[in-house]
Amino acid sequence: MADDKDVLRDVWFGRIPACFTLSPEETTEREAEPYYLLLPRVSYLTLVTDKVKKHFLKVMKAEDVEEMWFEYEGTPLKWHYPIGVLFDLHASNTALPWNVSVHFKNFPEQDLLHCPSNSVIEAHFMSCIKEADALKHKSQVINDMQKKDHKQLWMGLQNDKFDQFWAMNRKLMEYPSEEGGFRYIPFRIYQTMSDRPFIQKLFRPVSADGHPLTLGDLLKELFPAVICVEDEPKRFQVMIHGIEPLLETPIQWLSEHLSHPDNFLHISIIPAPSD
Amino acid sequence: MAGEKISASCYLDERTFRLCCQLFLQHSETIQDGWSWEQIKGTDEGFMKKTVLTPVKSSLLHKQHGCFMQAENMDLLTDDIQANVEDETAGVQAACEIHAVLRYEYHVLYSCSYQIPVLYFRASTLDGNPISLEEVWSNVHPNYRQRLQQGPWDTLTQQEHPLLGQPFFMLHPCRTEEFMKPALDLAQAENKRVNYIMTWLSVVGPVVGLDVPLSYCTEVSAPD
Repeated sequence: MADDKDVLRDVWFGRIPACFTLSPEETTEREAEPYYLLLPRVSYLTLVTDKVKKHFLKVMKAEDVEEMWFEYEGTPLKWHYPIGVLFDLHASNTALPWNVSVHFKNFPEQDLLHCPSNSVIEAHFMSCIKEADALKHKSQVINDMQKKDHKQLWMGLQNDKFDQFWAMNRKLMEYPSEEGGFRYIPFRIYQTMSDRPFIQKLFRPVSADGHPLTLGDLLKELFPAVICVEDEPKRFQVMIHGIEPLLETPIQWLSEHLSHPDNFLHISIIPAPSD
Repeated sequence: MAGEKISASCYLDERTFRLCCQLFLQHSETIQDGWSWEQIKGTDEGFMKKTVLTPVKSSLLHKQHGCFMQAENMDLLTDDIQANVEDETAGVQAACEIHAVLRYEYHVLYSCSYQIPVLYFRASTLDGNPISLEEVWSNVHPNYRQRLQQGPWDTLTQQEHPLLGQPFFMLHPCRTEEFMKPALDLAQAENKRVNYIMTWLSVVGPVVGLDVPLSYCTEVSAPD
């Protein structure tokens, strides 16, 4: 049986093979070859695609190049969501590699946040971590850390350094032994068929009478449509890091082991494939 | 216990948020201040919303700082221009300098993570072109610009609206406690109840060009 620590490594080192193709709308001086890249599930598109940008810039004139953005089958991809979440939500049941289109003009202002530099990604990442700690520990742990500790979390992610990251992150995963877990679980539930970008509510990992609550309990309360009745075929898949955890899994365990580096449990609800 | 000073909680639960908003909205209705409640279909969640049309002086184009007028609708706008034209000195200049009208949309949402309200807004030209963060900054009154940079707010950043999914600007909520605490403690010491939303909005609103008329202070009651 896999050790719990192995799960942390498997989550961190998860990769998605992607093929980046320049959008036919872009003006090029000569034909652009697609660019293949293994994307870390736990990182962000704009943080890991410098090579993609350099590759396509070689065939374009500087005046035709504005802020780079990505799209999959007509849907602009939100760089501020972890890569694995975008994949699970939009493309998990399609053949690999993940075919992503690259754009350098007509930035979709109504859909995407701007990402002018890495410091914007860092600010977003740190603000997610802070929000998660507000939920888990009333911000006590994150506020007790020094600026250099915060920096270590970001550098760990940016440079793909598991040990450096977890040396700090383990503090954010602790809780008082007298409690059964965190105060509230930081999570977001995503689905493509809704106007609402995600569902995020207060949810305690332990019930009022002290027993641990499960993924199923969370979904029953916040997305009951997912819990299928006896004879009915399954309509939805509940996906975290590309797998479907058993609904009996304690939500506290999921929060400690399957959260993203931003300390949130990102859950994708997608239509079950109709083979 | 005698002599012990218990400070008021700077946090707001979601039910109190909704009650405060309802009372705020009642007064807005009375003075036609333009606020409305947007309910999320099928839930008990929602937010307060207000759209404002504001003329912008040449500050955007000539990089001078202009002052900041608010107009509820175009009629008031033209009245202002008329009045300015009649005043031959500064007035004529002001009328000639009005190059654009911007549409500001303000949303007051509840953050369950921080248990406080948060202000989101977006701005665009009348034909729908969004305004950049730089342009938003240049429209913040110089008095507030300095204050905004020094805190108690961190910064204005672009964020995804948690209920609509579109890019908005957000005033970071991290230091809400710093300015709400004194107001709430004082109210408690004087045995008065406070409408959290009214107090909070009258502090954060003006920083980003949102006017909260004085009558709100006297007319909006606190929830029971």
